[in-house]
Amino acid sequence: MAEGQDKTDLSVRVPDNERSGTSVDRLDLAASATTAPPAISPSLNTATSVTAVNLGQVESARTRSGLIHADDNSLRPVATHVVPNVSHPVDAIPLIEEEMILPNPLVKYEYRPMEDGQGSEAPEPHHQSQQVIYINAPERNHSEINITCTSKYNFLTFLPKFLFEQFRKYANIFFLFISLIQQIPNVSPTGRYTTAFPLLLILMVSALKEIIEDFKRHRADDEINNRKAHVHRGDKWVTVKWVDVVAGDLVKICNGGFFPADLILLSSSEPQAMCYVETSNLDGETNLKLRQGHRVTKDLLRGEELASLRGMVECEAPNRHLYEFVGNIHLEGQSAVPLGPNQLLLRGAMLRNTGWVFGIVVYTGLHTKLMLNSTSTPLKRSNVEKLTNTQILLLFVLLVVLSLVCAVANSVWSGRHAHNDWYLFFDVEAESNFGLTLLTFIILYNNLIPISLQVTLEVVKFIQAIFINWDLDMYYAPTDTAAMARTSNLNEELGQIEYIFSDKTGTLTQNIMDFRKCSIAGICYGNNEESKDAFNDPTMMYNLHSQHVTADTIREFMVLLAVCHTVVPEIHHDTGEIVYLSSSPDEAALVQAARQLGFVFTTRTPETVEIEVFGKKEVYEILNVIEFSSDRKRMSVVVRCPDGKIKLYVKGADSVVYERLEETQLYSDITLQHLEEFASLGLRTLCIAKVDIPEDVYEEWKHTYYKASTSIHDREKKIEEAAELIERNLVLLGATAIEDKLQDGVPETILKLSMADIKLWVLTGDKQETAINIGYSCQLLTQNMELIILNERSLDETREALVKRKADFGDALGKVNDVGLIIDGEALRHALSCDCRKDFLDIALSCKSVICCRVSPLQKAEIVDLVKNAQKAITLAIGDGANDVGMIQAAHVGVGISGLEGLQAAHSSDYAIGQFRFLQKLLLVHGAWSYSRLSKLILYSFYKNICLYVIEFWFQIVNGFSGQILFERWSISLYNVIFTVAPPLAMGLFDRFCSAETMMKNPALYKDSQKGRLFNVKVFWVWIGNSIIHSILLFWMPMLMLTQDVAFSSGLVGDYLFLGNFVYTYVVVTVCLKAGLETNAWTWLTHLAIWGSIVSWFLFLVVYSNVYPLVRLSPEMVGMDRYMLGCWLFWLGLLLIPSACLLRDFSWKVFKGTYFKSTRQRVQEVELAKKESVINGSPRKKSSRLITERARLLSSTLFGRAGRVPSSSPPVPPSPEIPHGYAFSQEEFGAVPQAEYIRAYDTNKDKPEGL
Amino acid sequence: MATNGNGDISQDSVEEKPKSRKPKDTKFKQQKLPAWQPILTANTVLPALFAIGIAFIPLGVALLVTSNNIKELVYDYTHCNSSTTSGTCAEFFQNTSQTGETCTCVVTLTLDEDFTGSVYMYYGLTNFYQNHRRYVRSRDDNQLHGDVISYSDLNDDCDPYKTVSDNGTTMGIAPCGAIANSLFNDTFALVYQGSPNEAVGLLNTGIAWVSDKNVKFGNPSDWQKSTYTKPPNWKIPVWNLSLTEESNNGYKNEDLIVWMRTSALPTFRKLYRRINHNGTTFSNGLPKGDYQVTISYHYPVTAFEGTKSIILTTTSWLGGKNPFLGIAYLVVGSLCIVLGVVFLVIHLKWGKRVTNFVTSMEGDPSDLPLGRDRVLSNS
Repeated sequence: MAEGQDKTDLSVRVPDNERSGTSVDRLDLAASATTAPPAISPSLNTATSVTAVNLGQVESARTRSGLIHADDNSLRPVATHVVPNVSHPVDAIPLIEEEMILPNPLVKYEYRPMEDGQGSEAPEPHHQSQQVIYINAPERNHSEINITCTSKYNFLTFLPKFLFEQFRKYANIFFLFISLIQQIPNVSPTGRYTTAFPLLLILMVSALKEIIEDFKRHRADDEINNRKAHVHRGDKWVTVKWVDVVAGDLVKICNGGFFPADLILLSSSEPQAMCYVETSNLDGETNLKLRQGHRVTKDLLRGEELASLRGMVECEAPNRHLYEFVGNIHLEGQSAVPLGPNQLLLRGAMLRNTGWVFGIVVYTGLHTKLMLNSTSTPLKRSNVEKLTNTQILLLFVLLVVLSLVCAVANSVWSGRHAHNDWYLFFDVEAESNFGLTLLTFIILYNNLIPISLQVTLEVVKFIQAIFINWDLDMYYAPTDTAAMARTSNLNEELGQIEYIFSDKTGTLTQNIMDFRKCSIAGICYGNNEESKDAFNDPTMMYNLHSQHVTADTIREFMVLLAVCHTVVPEIHHDTGEIVYLSSSPDEAALVQAARQLGFVFTTRTPETVEIEVFGKKEVYEILNVIEFSSDRKRMSVVVRCPDGKIKLYVKGADSVVYERLEETQLYSDITLQHLEEFASLGLRTLCIAKVDIPEDVYEEWKHTYYKASTSIHDREKKIEEAAELIERNLVLLGATAIEDKLQDGVPETILKLSMADIKLWVLTGDKQETAINIGYSCQLLTQNMELIILNERSLDETREALVKRKADFGDALGKVNDVGLIIDGEALRHALSCDCRKDFLDIALSCKSVICCRVSPLQKAEIVDLVKNAQKAITLAIGDGANDVGMIQAAHVGVGISGLEGLQAAHSSDYAIGQFRFLQKLLLVHGAWSYSRLSKLILYSFYKNICLYVIEFWFQIVNGFSGQILFERWSISLYNVIFTVAPPLAMGLFDRFCSAETMMKNPALYKDSQKGRLFNVKVFWVWIGNSIIHSILLFWMPMLMLTQDVAFSSGLVGDYLFLGNFVYTYVVVTVCLKAGLETNAWTWLTHLAIWGSIVSWFLFLVVYSNVYPLVRLSPEMVGMDRYMLGCWLFWLGLLLIPSACLLRDFSWKVFKGTYFKSTRQRVQEVELAKKESVINGSPRKKSSRLITERARLLSSTLFGRAGRVPSSSPPVPPSPEIPHGYAFSQEEFGAVPQAEYIRAYDTNKDKPEGL
Repeated sequence: MATNGNGDISQDSVEEKPKSRKPKDTKFKQQKLPAWQPILTANTVLPALFAIGIAFIPLGVALLVTSNNIKELVYDYTHCNSSTTSGTCAEFFQNTSQTGETCTCVVTLTLDEDFTGSVYMYYGLTNFYQNHRRYVRSRDDNQLHGDVISYSDLNDDCDPYKTVSDNGTTMGIAPCGAIANSLFNDTFALVYQGSPNEAVGLLNTGIAWVSDKNVKFGNPSDWQKSTYTKPPNWKIPVWNLSLTEESNNGYKNEDLIVWMRTSALPTFRKLYRRINHNGTTFSNGLPKGDYQVTISYHYPVTAFEGTKSIILTTTSWLGGKNPFLGIAYLVVGSLCIVLGVVFLVIHLKWGKRVTNFVTSMEGDPSDLPLGRDRVLSNS
């Protein structure tokens, strides 16, 4: 929640002339954050399901470049959406009145009667129409069906849509084209259906996959559409499915429930029709937002009242702007009153901290703002896939060239032979024309491009994704979340990540605050940091009760914690347990801690706070609340204590509090020392102070403050000034330390990833202090690391700072230095501008750690884009909130943290995992495996096809370039669908060069895949070259073997197909064995695939040679089985030729394995050696000395890292002073300010039941 | 989310999920299937390389010896002198355009040594592209199988030898297509010049694949002689190919069957006759000496610069004489030995270092980055 609130703050602080830009960014990001249904659609989402699109980038680009189109309604929010944020300073009036929800007159967001909706302001297309909804008269309303539909197909649309999708792929078009030209008579050398058939098979496999995926989507849709909503129809409450909710329905939503459609808030269980909503699904802000129903409806608390309600709601036509809503409600017998965004509850948001609300449905289904913001996810293609496509294009060129060469050679040959070779009847029938001959050759060589590659890849990736889903190590039991690959086409990309951009809250941290330590009167309390338990220090209790010299201070300290806050207690009816409601987790933690220690905050009334100190009730009158703001960095309350004294209690950042201390302080030095200590542990600290205020001083100040808080102009500033008057001469009581709990295993994961040369950048919307804190606690920053802090406020300053920093780096620039860069959103905005971009990037890349704080969601996406484009590196973004959606979609790979309530990020991500630490397994194991498997699979698929089809070319040389094929036509077309389909599958699914454990323990292994060493242009063409060599051997050796034709002792001779089948058999055997040679781990499935493929060909040969004349198919195969298998030459060749082919590959592999041993081979050997020793019953018996030595040896050889700053390098200039670990989260400038919010509560009163 | 105190409220709305999403812990699903992981290094493959080398070289030698023991005689009679007209038969055919004419050559073949065992007689053609696409396709297998079909149903690929039109009547060609039309039609008679001269018995059956003769080729129940005619280049219709031997007549004629198996290369030989070894003189093969061959010379090959030969050969279990396989085995075997030696040298020279390295790393790979893990636990 801290993040969300900071963003708010940011947008307020921008200078006016720049406000629009920032605001647009924010809004659109928020808009972009909206999405598909709140439930996971458990599909492997290949870019098709409805999710959010990053509108923000387009918008902001336009705004930045100054191209503002007046007719573009998307720019409208510039003026309007800031309403909820800035309304407060203007109308902060101590009690909630009607004015509260009236829009701020300064903002162009005034209620206008609908009639002149297109009045003086720029005409907006969506204002030209309006919608009228009659309350309690659903039959009069026109309503869009309230349905969620993420599925792609239904029974009717499946075939056309599917075919359209498929034939958008080049490869499929190509093969379709081949199938078509095969229909031309006399052109095809391979018959008419030999391409169509495999193509059909492949399309069927794809169709099956699509159907499975779409079926899952249908089920997910049904789950949402069939959710239950409580609707008041007629005179009673009925439960209907979401899909049956129509406009004008009166619905009741209970706490924790999602809104089924866009609603107008009528009333709620809370005072003044207030309610909390969580909009993280829509805009990514995790702090709760207040919404308030209109005064005229706030008393509709019972069903009967609703039933008798008549009237209508007018509202603007549906649009996608989340923070914009104009409408009015016209109740019978009353005049129309305006409605604004404060009364609008959006579909996708969730009701929180509120018993229930009543609302009228206004927008349903596709008209909801959520749906209007949904578009399809950008299609992401992996690096490997792109490279593959380029190579396919090159191969296509090769194919055309080869065909041209053959066609020309054919003409030449025919020209020379036409008049002489009478048996070829050229005199009777002329040779076909050049074009047709060319087509013949294109058909002949079409399978140089592997027809099955696409579908094999799809299937393999699909199953790889399932393996990810199945991974037990990535299962997070507390939330019952298994990892989920939502797309399968990026598996190999996971193996190539160089940069990770991580969100902080919810990703690195749990967003749970724990009170860990405190320093009271110079004494530090708290258990040591390893303890996972809550704060518990008996010493403190002892000191408190034993009349210790500091006992009074301790008491005061605890009272302050229990009194000075804006928390609202709620007593659970059944258990009597008190639950604290707050938009600030820090405050909740402090109040919670006070309760634990016997100072229980029990009741809040508009004027007082009641606490129970060890069971004894004490009432503190709250005179004033001076709110927290990130400028003030403190919050304080003025209270009248039970003894009648007036006191000011303050908690805030140490820097702020120390400035205002009375001059003589007993413990200021020791407390400062403690603060430093806390900060070094990565704890968030607050200083606690108080001051006694004499009655007369307070009376005087009270007036000043009242004036300030009711002034029309500069209220904020005046309040601050007024606060300064009283917040001085403070007496320091001590300090608190709150732990922002990290997710499990975060530091370890960061370390492992850094060992794999993956750089982690933290991009957070949170404050700088918080971010630095977390940086320390998760080891991203270390104590001896230099920090560069950039928070310049203008473009010029930023540029200057960047240039200076860059110069400071000197030679070390571009290397990874032990320096941490911290930059805040404001400076980042300048740093990302065109002329600073390069410098910023240079500096950022020279730092070991980069933390960007207070960044907007859009900036997150921009940073990702910057690194992605400038570094040509593969990036991964990980986050949990909707504010991360932008970067998740911008990065090559987006990972969402799932299992929490806001599933937004998970929905737009490519992979969803339960915990940050699972990233290790996902990248180091699944990523690296997928990459190496798919690389092999792709290379091998090309290899096997080229191997077979280039043979056709060699055969052309001896048959006069006539286009005759050497093999039987159906054996060729089954090559890719039967005989050699299994080895690549086995390779793609089961190959591994060492176990998952070893991969995890040796992150250095990741570098192979990261650097793309296994699949690049060079490797590709080496494989192609190799396959050409193989094809030469595979054709010419059998040919020379049979050159005398006589193959049997009975004197019989063979024919062309006899040779062809020899060659074909050798090809199948060779490529299958080659697959074996490339396989590192032979599981039984691999054995099955390799040997099975070979056997399948022999079986096919035997069956196929005997089908004629039963089936009139391939008479030329008759007897082939008998004569081939009965021919000694065949068997001798079978022994010789594949081994001759593979001898080179084999010995090269051996040579490399011995001579140029790579890291992975070494690790592999060690692993195997270990396994063997375990098997032999003698686990390692090396002395520890040896291990240490080994570790040293390895760290110098295997894990050598990029150069660091030489010790002599110029010292990096000292960082600016940063406060000690201070960080605090609190909603600022919300719809209802905290100070007024708490005044509305009287927790002694019962809440309405709402029935 | 907003507070850490309201967890119990929100739990009310969380549905109970009875079914856990926990993945199953099976070896397959966790990708822990046991696997054989061969490691190829010099020392591990040395035995294999030497073994292959040692196996292949003797095998190669054996194959070479086998091939060399085969006796083979090739006689190119393309330009044989005609015994009926002046000049060579090739010239004779160049000068007369009549295909019906016969030219006869009488040539003498000399066997320098005894051809023991079964001897086979082949004709060989060169520069004859039986593997040309338009040639290979030009046949109708249904017709050859003996199906009774009307000539219009013949395979279009047979064109231009599918039908002939004569005075307005269209007749189908039996067998249709270019392959059949260009059937090799030279005939040979072989006489041993001994004392006395003795004609060598030539068997015209058993020269085709059994499967072809029994399965693929068959005679139709009705020759449809009214609608079918002989191919243009033929002298006699197919149903008269062997009037004496019904089993060798029509499509089942083995000369035709042999010809119909189109060769892989433009230089090829096809089995013409088996030598009949039933008599006393030739029971052990063909004795050395002179043989007179009377060639009925019909087939024109000079037009396409081809040659015709007559080949007499014995066979081994490997078929005809072909040293290639033996040589290939020797080469591959030697390569294996050479590679083995190279790797042995590498192993002796470098292997020690490598092995030391490996043994020094033996143990748990998890130890490797130990240093860092320790650093971590401190913080």
